[in-house]
Amino acid sequence: MPAKPHRILLDRVSVYADEAAAFMRRRRVSRRPFARLYYPHGRSADHAQDSRAGAELFVAAGRLIEVAGKKPKR
Amino acid sequence: MTTVMIQEARARDTPGIFADMADAAATAPPSGESAEAALELLAEMSPDLRGAAILGPGGEVLAATGEERERWGEDAEALFAAADEAEGAPVEQVHIATEQGEVFAIRNAGLAAVSVTDRFALASLMLFDLRSALRQLAREAGA
Repeated sequence: MPAKPHRILLDRVSVYADEAAAFMRRRRVSRRPFARLYYPHGRSADHAQDSRAGAELFVAAGRLIEVAGKKPKR
Repeated sequence: MTTVMIQEARARDTPGIFADMADAAATAPPSGESAEAALELLAEMSPDLRGAAILGPGGEVLAATGEERERWGEDAEALFAAADEAEGAPVEQVHIATEQGEVFAIRNAGLAAVSVTDRFALASLMLFDLRSALRQLAREAGA
């Protein structure tokens, strides 16, 4: 007996939602801190947190995060 | 077809025609009111935004969220100094992602902007919004 059309739709939506949730979960777990600099003509460079330049960038970023504080309530 | 040609030029390390199309630099610094308005618009467009500041050509704070305007200026200057020193060349954009949040900084049209967002903010959108805000300010200042 074929499934009712609305069932098919619901199943499909929930499959997409599951996929999206899994993607976000993987992204949260796998994404590590990074410092990326972009230069003219599209060149970019990553600096590891344990490098000298990277450490300075993370310290400067930390100060900015501190001054920004928490997200204002809207 | 055009896209392929540009990518080939990039691969050959040729600057390409867009390299010469620099944004118009602000001839005079934009007013504090217009910078505040740009910041408000930015906050409205970016739900992940925690705070931001817009800096003038000399690094002076034109507008900033919160109470600590001077600190925004000092900390943004320190960030740009560290970024420029990293490879000995002036940076155009900075994106630093930490466990506590993300920091974006951009220089455009003689102005600069820094912003702090929640984690996992969309970098391309945030940088696009910052660049648009600076371009608009430079246009207004030049008009």
